[in-house]
Amino acid sequence: MAFKVRLEGVRKTFGRGARAVEAVRDLTLEIGEREFFTFVGPSGCGKTTTLRMIAGLETPTAGRIWFGDQDVTALPPQQRDIAMVFQDVALFPYMTVRQNIGYPLRIAGLPRAQVDAKVEKVAATLGLTDKLAQKPGQLSGGQQQRVAIGRALIREPKVLLMDEPLSALDARLRVEMRTEILRLHREISSTIIYVTHDQVEAMTMSTRVAVMDQGRALQVAPPRELFARPANVTVATFIGTPAMNIVPAALVASSGGLSIEVLNLVIPLVGQPHGPFRDLKAVNLGIRPQAIRLVRPGPERITGQVFLREPLGLEDEVLVEVVNGTKLKVVTAAGEEFLEGARVGLDFDLADLYLFHPESKEAIHHRIDGAGPSSARG
Amino acid sequence: MRRVQAYGPLALLLVVLVVVAFPFYWMLMTSFTPREALFKPPFRLFRLDLSLGNYRELLFATEFVTYLRNSLIAAAGAIVLNVVAATLAGYGLTRFAFPGKKGFAFGTLFSYMFPPILMVIPLYILFSALRMRNSYVGLILAHMAISLPLNIWLMWQYFQIVPVSLEEAAWISGASRLAALRQVCLPSARPGILSVAIFSFALSWNDFTFAFILQTDRKMFTLPVGLATFVEQTGVHWGMVMSAAVLVSVPTFLLVFFLQKYLLSGLRATG
Repeated sequence: MAFKVRLEGVRKTFGRGARAVEAVRDLTLEIGEREFFTFVGPSGCGKTTTLRMIAGLETPTAGRIWFGDQDVTALPPQQRDIAMVFQDVALFPYMTVRQNIGYPLRIAGLPRAQVDAKVEKVAATLGLTDKLAQKPGQLSGGQQQRVAIGRALIREPKVLLMDEPLSALDARLRVEMRTEILRLHREISSTIIYVTHDQVEAMTMSTRVAVMDQGRALQVAPPRELFARPANVTVATFIGTPAMNIVPAALVASSGGLSIEVLNLVIPLVGQPHGPFRDLKAVNLGIRPQAIRLVRPGPERITGQVFLREPLGLEDEVLVEVVNGTKLKVVTAAGEEFLEGARVGLDFDLADLYLFHPESKEAIHHRIDGAGPSSARG
Repeated sequence: MRRVQAYGPLALLLVVLVVVAFPFYWMLMTSFTPREALFKPPFRLFRLDLSLGNYRELLFATEFVTYLRNSLIAAAGAIVLNVVAATLAGYGLTRFAFPGKKGFAFGTLFSYMFPPILMVIPLYILFSALRMRNSYVGLILAHMAISLPLNIWLMWQYFQIVPVSLEEAAWISGASRLAALRQVCLPSARPGILSVAIFSFALSWNDFTFAFILQTDRKMFTLPVGLATFVEQTGVHWGMVMSAAVLVSVPTFLLVFFLQKYLLSGLRATG
């Protein structure tokens, strides 16, 4: 039986007094059985510390960690039913691949024949059968990572922890191993808790993702929801490449209700001024680079000048400088139109706009509607 | 010009080699020279009338074998205790946080910089009070007092390059801290441990000062002290002294010859 992993108000502070560093502040979340749960965030956000606390390698300064009904907060790693794959692989250099994979079973005192049989089975699923007699130093980076995964899988752990397992691999191998890990997750019955700084890994592999920053989980949601409904500016700009454009905009009251003034556009809001907009004079407006279309400049559009155009193959990344130095990133089909220096108009659907509070940076969920951009002022 | 660059260092090495190796050669030669031929001219660089007489006399007519046994016991004790203590101390210093760690580190290096001779008198008084003079334990502890600081420092440096994640992987696999240390950490630190063993051996084997002051009973003399008495007797029997010197150098030579690979890598880790 698998179990849920529950963190309750978990904190971790390193050091004391003036030099104390809060790595994790008040983290509460629940990871379901057989989930592929990912902690993602920039370095220093507390994701690895969180994983190490789940593993028992760090003790929380405050809060509790539950495996199902059992409080494991004070339990040493040896007594938790977990396995872990480390960022630096951490294979035992003096042991062969066979000894490395079989190590957890030998520690548990299983008879040799049984260990060998299981090692061979695990090695077969990972394509390592012909490497069993070699030492880790003789293997490639990808093979070493497979051995590390094999050592983690052999005990059939309830929870498999992975700390940036792919970060040492080159780009092509990373994609390959991603598929491999997903296949394993389907085949084994373990919960996988995964840590990465790579939002692509987080988005492609996970059932749910926690986006971390400065020791807090900013949002915990399935990948599609993170992309479609980011909780704040940090999540919005972290998830999706290139990052979402964020532009400051004014909020003005007019006869028909509230409208947003951005650059030279006026966008009326549907409905009366209420709730999140009370007393606000400004908002941050977000739009993804893929949601903007490059068109001929016209009077009813935001216009600008192409600052930089980078061909990426199928698509080009275009940096457009609009008024007063603000630059917007646009992803468009590869082409020869609107080259660097050209005047260009920007077109987009109002439904693709995101609103954020100017100070707290939290998302404001409010329907902005209409057939298209409204008429320009003046 | 290119030839000078190629052969210059070689020539220099050759000169150094002659300077370093000649005394050894002369020692070896003299040890095999019969007593009556030793001071009779001509003094030749090469001779063929070699004999084992000096060795026979050394082994059967003197207490050389007793000295050898004492030296071996002292060295073996120093090796075992140094390896155990330095390994555990080095491990503790890299893996645990405790108050006064910096002070300990400073103290360790500082105590190594003390001239060992400063410790002889206090140790003499201490061991007299404890009735540990003329004992193996006392001598081994004295040798440890000189070599342990550097050994701790060596192992400390060594454990710093053994990744903590190796042990963590072992813990998560279910291994206890001690099992992880033994199965995962120590194999990786083997070159460092060998360096400690060799250094401890060399220091104990070559020590004259401590053995001379602490061991007053002839039966407890170590080789360096015992050999010195050969010189102090009525005359100096150089052939025998040289054969003793040859036998003393053999273990050191063998040790360095077979373990130099580890010795070098151990020292490199601290560089």
